[in-house]
Amino acid sequence: MKPADTPPAAAKPTVTKPAAAKRPALGGAFLPGAAGRLLPASVPFRYFGAAAVFHLGAWLVVLLTAADWPAWRGGLGWPLAALHLVTLGTLAASAIGVSLQLLPVATKQVVRWPALLSAIWWLYVPAVAVLVAGMGLARPDWLASGATAVIAVLVVFAVMLGLNLRAGGSMAGVVLHGLGAVVALVLVLLSAAALVALWIGRPFFDHGAARQLHLTAGVFGFMGLLAFGLSFVLLPMFTLGRVPGDRQQMQAGAAALAAVVLAIAAAFVPAASLPLRAAALAVGALAFGLHLKLMRGVFGSAMRKDLGPSGRLMKAGWACLALALPAGAVALASDAGSVWGTLFGLVAVAGWLLSFLFGVLQRILPFLASMHAGQKLKRGPTPSALTLERPLLWHAIAHGLALLLLAAGLLLASAPVVRLAGLAGSVGALAFLVFFAGLLRRLARAMAEPPK
Amino acid sequence: MSGPNPTPPDAPAPATLDGDGCWRLDLRGLPPPQPMVTILRHLEQHADDGRALLVRLERDPVMLYPELAERGWCAETLSDEPGDVRLRLQRA
Repeated sequence: MKPADTPPAAAKPTVTKPAAAKRPALGGAFLPGAAGRLLPASVPFRYFGAAAVFHLGAWLVVLLTAADWPAWRGGLGWPLAALHLVTLGTLAASAIGVSLQLLPVATKQVVRWPALLSAIWWLYVPAVAVLVAGMGLARPDWLASGATAVIAVLVVFAVMLGLNLRAGGSMAGVVLHGLGAVVALVLVLLSAAALVALWIGRPFFDHGAARQLHLTAGVFGFMGLLAFGLSFVLLPMFTLGRVPGDRQQMQAGAAALAAVVLAIAAAFVPAASLPLRAAALAVGALAFGLHLKLMRGVFGSAMRKDLGPSGRLMKAGWACLALALPAGAVALASDAGSVWGTLFGLVAVAGWLLSFLFGVLQRILPFLASMHAGQKLKRGPTPSALTLERPLLWHAIAHGLALLLLAAGLLLASAPVVRLAGLAGSVGALAFLVFFAGLLRRLARAMAEPPK
Repeated sequence: MSGPNPTPPDAPAPATLDGDGCWRLDLRGLPPPQPMVTILRHLEQHADDGRALLVRLERDPVMLYPELAERGWCAETLSDEPGDVRLRLQRA
């Protein structure tokens, strides 16, 4: 360690920018160059707001269409619509908000094209709504219109994510996971186009291969790799634990990438599909084990070990990923079209990704709001002053209950149990919306106060 | 002191205590979020000793400020040269 060599008394002569020389504030004031690394607050929070609303929409669809669920094994219908309200509406919208806000800050870059990011929100949100309505009502023309716009927006996101990661050289593990996620996103979009083409009667790719590619690249490639990679930044921040070493991050990332590549290869080589999928599950289990070991290291060295409902949601997400792997193995060994395939999807998408995402959002939204307030206010509100604890607790409990009920409803082929799941999930989603609205209200109130 | 901190990211260097009674940390060269985590861990460990902490960083730590505010600490900018930002952190 080389100590800072300038004592405080002697530091004054080194001050070259008088405006930045002395600005004591609770927390601190941004330096002139830093503001360019932040999006306008309205941009990421618009994506988070859309995610919260689409999340409620997904559970309401479960509640109102419960009778469709026990027999559903894929294809157009309300279960597919609910799935995409979660994947596109909630997970992808949040990924846009989190990654495009955090990565420029972490990689010292000026935020690119904030006006474009703001503008494409207006395309993305209605497009997702049209797309899921097209799925639910089995209207391929609506589906195609919505999907075209969604694909266009996500191409822009993929480009921006790639540009941000290109400058993230000092975070090798995060960059490896992130670039894997970008490539997977491209594959997701190509397979989505193939599936839409099939539904509108202009197939150009095998349906089974496109479907498998879409599921694998979407859940484990795009979202999974992004969640794994961002964990190496977010979890040490949340817990004040040790950042895993670069080499360990790279090893875990390489294993995760290998698992995703094997699973994707299975879509293209039907003759070897079963052994490739089995190998993907085995390598995926290894990758998850490595990732979990690193996360345990973060928590083991943490100064803040209890993250409250947020931490429990993240841990529930990992537990669901641990369950998803054997569920996937059972699904492989079962007949095509068995309930195990649906359960595998439920545990992976809603159990792992959605739980983990909301664990992150519960913690990071007040943090980001406070950061943005600090950009303008000398004494901005603290993250805890912007948080509503009780709705977050309700959300976490209802989320867990809803997942258990939905899994039970599918296993028992019981529409009433699925309906109860939809009710519990809707209560949880409403509680999260109450938290989000309260956060925005408190932030707006703080920003409207005259500077102290 | 001239070059950035060569310490690998998984082994951040400890703070040093100078004759003027301030802790010092040079966190240049460390990837995010290591600088922020190192600072906050230091503040947790030395919350009650009443000493200020002088830090050198490569960039303005915008994500640190909400955490400082949460703990009742404030940051004073001593210098913000490109690639060499110096802050004095103390109780508000």
